[in-house]
Amino acid sequence: MRTIGPEQLDDLALGAAVLGTGGGGDPHIGKLTAAAAMRAHGPVRLITLDDLGDDDLVVPAAMMGAPTVMLEKLPRGDEIVNAFTGLQAYLGRTVTAVAPIEAGGLNSTTPFIVAATLGLPLVDADGMGRAFPELQMVTPTLHGMAATPMAIGDEKGNSAIINTCDNVWTERIARTITIQMGGVAFVALYPMSGAQARASLVPGTVSLALQLGVAIREARRAKRSPIDAVLAIAGGRRLFGGKIVDVRRRTERGFARGEAAIRGTGEDEGHDLQIRFQNENLIALLDGVPVATVPDLITVLDAESGEPITTETLRYGFRVVVIGMPCAAAWREAEGLALVGPRAFGYDLEYRPL
Amino acid sequence: MTRNVRTLTLEDIRALEIGAAILGTGGGGNPYIGRLRTEQLLKAGATLSLLPLECLDDDDLVASVGGIGAPVVGIEKIERGDECLRAMRAAERATGGRVTALISSEIGGANSMEPLITGAQSGLPVVDGDGMGRAFPELQMCTYFIYGLKPSPGAVADEKGNEVVFTGARDMFWLERLSRAVTVDMGATAGYCLPPMDGAFVRRVAVPGTVTQAIDLGYAVQDARRRKRNPVQAILDACDGVLLFEGKVVDVDRRLARGFAVGRATLQGLGGDSGATLAIDLQNENLIALRDGIPIATVPDLICMVDLESGQPITTEILRYGLRAAVLGLPCHPLLRTPEALAVIGPRAFGYDLEYRPLANGGTR
Repeated sequence: MRTIGPEQLDDLALGAAVLGTGGGGDPHIGKLTAAAAMRAHGPVRLITLDDLGDDDLVVPAAMMGAPTVMLEKLPRGDEIVNAFTGLQAYLGRTVTAVAPIEAGGLNSTTPFIVAATLGLPLVDADGMGRAFPELQMVTPTLHGMAATPMAIGDEKGNSAIINTCDNVWTERIARTITIQMGGVAFVALYPMSGAQARASLVPGTVSLALQLGVAIREARRAKRSPIDAVLAIAGGRRLFGGKIVDVRRRTERGFARGEAAIRGTGEDEGHDLQIRFQNENLIALLDGVPVATVPDLITVLDAESGEPITTETLRYGFRVVVIGMPCAAAWREAEGLALVGPRAFGYDLEYRPL
Repeated sequence: MTRNVRTLTLEDIRALEIGAAILGTGGGGNPYIGRLRTEQLLKAGATLSLLPLECLDDDDLVASVGGIGAPVVGIEKIERGDECLRAMRAAERATGGRVTALISSEIGGANSMEPLITGAQSGLPVVDGDGMGRAFPELQMCTYFIYGLKPSPGAVADEKGNEVVFTGARDMFWLERLSRAVTVDMGATAGYCLPPMDGAFVRRVAVPGTVTQAIDLGYAVQDARRRKRNPVQAILDACDGVLLFEGKVVDVDRRLARGFAVGRATLQGLGGDSGATLAIDLQNENLIALRDGIPIATVPDLICMVDLESGQPITTEILRYGLRAAVLGLPCHPLLRTPEALAVIGPRAFGYDLEYRPLANGGTR
């Protein structure tokens, strides 16, 4: 069994930002909070899905809201633990493991706050293999699992337990509450048995994020291309290189939505790439033609350092490389595409695997 | 202990429909639909038990349930029927206790009947009293919160099977804000349950006897109609009220905003009020009456509009051009006139820069 300490969080957050495809929130805040929890309570045990017994009770914990707001509105610090223990009290059973709900961005580190504070193991898996903007967009939904009972809370002391008729209603009601709470809230949801976790979660994604982070760091030190290092691990390919010439971003219905335009340089001179996002990067259009779409991963990296750039920090003038990486296999089935394919986001496009 | 419980009849409910709509000051949910639902339960053999306020034991756990949302939506969107019951169960579970009695938060409109319906479904008695002695548009505007009820755990539930229990709320305004936002999502109507209260607290802060008062008021109107006496006068006599205005509705500006029916109704005077104009501002309920621009009655006193001939109450969702109406001012209960109460339900709480001036009881204008 391996343990994760505060010294590994930099690598983890770096790798998770690659898997976050622009979303999942700026990992910096989550990293600082998780490191503080680890220093206070000790490192976190990372267990695999196979380590779970059938009767284990696994609960994912996460931050919910618009990354644009998360940048400015700092957490009090104990919200996520309160949401988690609130759900545990409602369930009337002791939760035996914490899991990330998404592999990307901020929510790769937030579950460590809960795991460290409560002395629980963290499962090396997640519900997306990346980041997605909405609650129902997780592999447990494909397995017919309910998002509720779900706990939600804020820094002001407001909290609620939600029970809904389906996972889309969970998203709708939880999003409304999140907006009222100030655009950011903390949640614990999809309570599941160990058996359900094994059947539904994407395995090994915490380790994958760590591995990506280590690879980028080592490539930088060795003066090798961090982007090649990422592609060697995650698969996929370089889509485009250029300069960001326009960013339109608005916080709308609780999400950061918009598009970024990139003008090609070097081998991509004379071409334009447009990226459309809703918290996460959804679609990449090369000269107007789609070259990558959800559920495959589209990530914008700094051309020199390989540093992933999240949608709320995109801005004019950045020199970037855009890469596409293949999504978890479950998303490429018909049910997966119905939940997170281009049409689920309102794009009248057929999904074509990278 | 044995409790001196009154069992309500079909006739009582029909009288309550009238009386609750008068006390609803235009809001509280459409009482006709509430009456139909209650009647249906009665005909199916349910028992509606009314418990005098003073019969509550100190350790009774009392849940206040009702409908939340816009009455204009409530008359179109039919309830599943168990919304309040499920909200009550959700709040009860979060409390960890067992609810032993129900009470209305507002005696006005259909919310006088929601606890009776939930009582029939759960076998629990309903306390003869409420938290307003009238109706108000927002959750915190009741004597329970005004006099110290903690703001959690309250709950809302809809007809689709969604339930949210607010296990923590910073204050009563946050409970209202979060509940309202979720209600709008749920389709602008839902069932709610306030944080359950102990019996001793309810005995101290509830407006007493208002279910009986509303039923008696309904009987008084029915009796006047039967005897060909003036039903409007019967209401004034029963409630120690003032006739504010008689006129014709000439304009209704009503819209749905933030989950409420808000707007203004304008009446042109008839008879002794010829030449004068009365404007009534509303947010689900009638808030302020302005005669030729000058306020003559404000919250928390009751401003009730009834049909000039029949005394039939006119709620905000059926308000329309051409109705001949008498506008009555009825004094609110003393529990609503304290400084603590006026801070939550006085004119300023609704955004009017006005001092509250009590109606002259039983006087003439």
